Amino acid sequence: MLLSHPTIGRLVLSAAVTCALAAPSYAEDILIGVATAQTGGLAPYDQPSLAGFRMAIDELNAKGGLGGKYTAKLAIKDTRTDTAATITAVQELVDAGASIIVTPCDADATIAAGQITVAKRIPTLTFCGTAPVLATAVGDNLFGTYPGDNLQAAVIADHAYAKGFRKAYLLVSPDSSYTAQLPEYFAEVFKKKGGAVVGTGSFTMGQPDFSAIVTAIKALPEQPDLIMTAAYEPDFPAFIQQLRAAGVTTTVYGADAIGTATVQGLGKLVDGTVYTAAGYPTPGGALEAFNKRFATTTGHAAESAYEANGYEIGLILDAAVKAAGSTDPIKLRDAIAGLDKLPIVTGTITYAGTNGMPVRAVSLIEYKDGKPVYIATQTPAAADVPAAAH
Amino acid sequence: MLLQQVINAISLGGIYALLALGLAIVFSITGLINFAHGELMTLSGYALLAALMMGMPLLPAAITAVAAGALAAMAMERVAFRPMRGASVTSLLLTSFAVSNLLKVVFQNAISARGKPIAMPDWMAGVVPIGSFTIGVGPLISIAVSALALLGLELFLRRTVMGAAMRAAAQDFNTLRLVGISANRVIAVAFLLSGVLAGIASLLWIAQRASVDPMMGFVPVLKAFIATVIGGLGSLSGAVAGGMLLGVLEVALQALLPPSLAPYRDALVLSGIIVVLLVRPNGLIPAVDTARS
Repeated sequence: MLLSHPTIGRLVLSAAVTCALAAPSYAEDILIGVATAQTGGLAPYDQPSLAGFRMAIDELNAKGGLGGKYTAKLAIKDTRTDTAATITAVQELVDAGASIIVTPCDADATIAAGQITVAKRIPTLTFCGTAPVLATAVGDNLFGTYPGDNLQAAVIADHAYAKGFRKAYLLVSPDSSYTAQLPEYFAEVFKKKGGAVVGTGSFTMGQPDFSAIVTAIKALPEQPDLIMTAAYEPDFPAFIQQLRAAGVTTTVYGADAIGTATVQGLGKLVDGTVYTAAGYPTPGGALEAFNKRFATTTGHAAESAYEANGYEIGLILDAAVKAAGSTDPIKLRDAIAGLDKLPIVTGTITYAGTNGMPVRAVSLIEYKDGKPVYIATQTPAAADVPAAAH
Repeated sequence: MLLQQVINAISLGGIYALLALGLAIVFSITGLINFAHGELMTLSGYALLAALMMGMPLLPAAITAVAAGALAAMAMERVAFRPMRGASVTSLLLTSFAVSNLLKVVFQNAISARGKPIAMPDWMAGVVPIGSFTIGVGPLISIAVSALALLGLELFLRRTVMGAAMRAAAQDFNTLRLVGISANRVIAVAFLLSGVLAGIASLLWIAQRASVDPMMGFVPVLKAFIATVIGGLGSLSGAVAGGMLLGVLEVALQALLPPSLAPYRDALVLSGIIVVLLVRPNGLIPAVDTARS
C-alpha cells in the first residue's frame, strides 16, 4: 500500500507521541518488566511465583520502595508459554525502559529473553528456571533464583542411594533442558555413588501415550528399583497413571516441577514419589510464617515454594538496589552478582563466586497419602554437584 | 512384550480413530475441518470433573461428560458455523480456529489456566493376567469402548433413516435436500455425533493422563487431523483406518527406536505419512466424492 504524504506525517507524529509516552519512568521510580507465562504449560509455576513477587513489591513500596528509595513499578505481560511471545514482551519492556526483567520459570524462554537484554546487560532473573547453563548460554546479566538442576539432582541422587536404591531408569525428554538434563545430572551423581542406570526412555512433551515406554520398562532384563524423571504437567500425571495402570509399582522420583497442586491431587498414584523444592514450611519455621502472611495478604493459601521464591526475588532486587544505590541496569547487575549470604525466606542466597546460578539449600519432600511430607533440607558439597552440561 | 505392544497400539489407535471420526463426520457433510473439536474434548473433561466433584459415581459422570460434549457441539454449530454455511473452506477453517481459541481463553479465565487432577478409580489401575503377561484394565477398557462406539456409529449410519440421510449428504448434499430432507437437521445430527465421539474420546484420554487443562484438546485434534488426512478426508472408514495406522506407527516407533533416535519419533511418523500420501494421494480409503479432498 502506498501512503500519501499527510498519512506519513500523521504516522510520524503519532510515533513521536507514543515514544514520548513510553519514555523511561520518573527519576525516583524503577521499572521492573515482568514477562512471564500466566497461561499455558508454565502457568502452574509462573502464577504462584508472580503472586509472591507482587506481594514483595507491594510490601517494599509501602516501606519507601526498593532500597528504601525507588518506588517499583511493575509492567506485567503474559507470555502464554510461547517463546516468540516472550521475546516480543521482553522487547517491549526493554523499550519501555525497564531496569530489571523477570522471565518465565523456564530456562529456554529465559535464554530467549536474554538475547534481548544482554546488549544493555539488563539484569534478567528467571522465576524458577533451573538450567545451570543460563549465564554461560547468554551473558552474565542472567540469573537463576531457584536451586539449579545439578544441585537438585545431587540432593535427589544422594537421597535415593541412601534409601537403598541401586538401579535407576531414566525418563527424559529432549524438548527442554530441564526434562533432558536433570535426570542426566542425577545419573552422574547416582553412578558415582555406586548406583547403575538400567535403561533410558525418551518422551515428547505433551505426548498422550506412555504405554510403549511402560511396556519397555516392564520388559527390561534388569528391573529398576527407581524411575527418575523431570517430567511435569501434563506428562508426569499421564506417565504415572499409565505406569500404575499397567501394574508397575516401581518408585518414581521427580524434581521441583511436580511440587504442584495438580500432582498432589493425584493422591495414591504418587505415593512414595520424592521431589524437591526451595524450602518446606516446617512448623514454626520462616516459610510457614511467610505462607501464613501470604494467605492473609492475597486471600488464598500458598500451594508450593514458588510463592516464596517469587517473594525472595523481591528481596534480592531490594538488596541489589540498596547496594547499587542506582537504577542503572549495569550497576544493578553487578550488585546482584555480588550478593553473599543474603537472608531470604527459606535461608540464604549467594551469587558471589557463581556463574549466575545461586547457592542455596534444597528441600526434599515425599508425597504420602496425597500430602507432602518433609524429609530434609540440604546444601550439597560443591564437589558433589555435577558440572553444568552444555 | 509384543502382545502388550500390540494392545497398546490398538488402544491408542482406537482413541485416534474416534477423534478422526468426529472430524470426518462433520467434514463429510459440511466441508468444515473443525479445529474446535479438541475444545469439545476439554469441555467434556471439565464436565466430568464437575460431575465427579458433585459426588456422582463414575458411570453417570461419564454419561454427563459425553452429553456435555454433544450439546456443546450442537451449540457450536448453531452459534458459530450455521451463519457461515456455504462459506469457503478457508473461512470455515478460520472460524473453527477462532472458536477453538475463544473457548481456550474462556476455560483459562473462567476455570483455571492450570491443570486439574482427575483421579481414576483404583480398579482401572488393575491388571489382568494372561499366561505370563499382565495386561492393564485401562487399555482393555479403552479398546472395548472404542470398538463399541465404532460399532454403534456403524449401526446408526446403516440402519436408521437419519443415518442413511447422513451417508447420502456426504455424497451429494444438494440432491438430498431436493428429496425433502432438512439440511439443518442432518448437519445438527452430524455435530451431535461428533460431540458424542469427542466426549467418549475425552474420557479415554483423561483416563490416560489423569488431569484436565485448557490446552488439553490441542494435541488430540492435531492427531485426529493427521489421521483423517491419511485415511482420506471425508471418508469415515478412512478416518478409522488412519487413526489405527497413526496409533500403530507411534507405538511401534516408541517401542523400537533406540533412545538416541527417539527424539526423531514424530518426524519419522510424519515422514511415514508423507510416504502413505505419495502412494495414495487421496488417502487410504478415499471418500466417494473425491472432489472434496
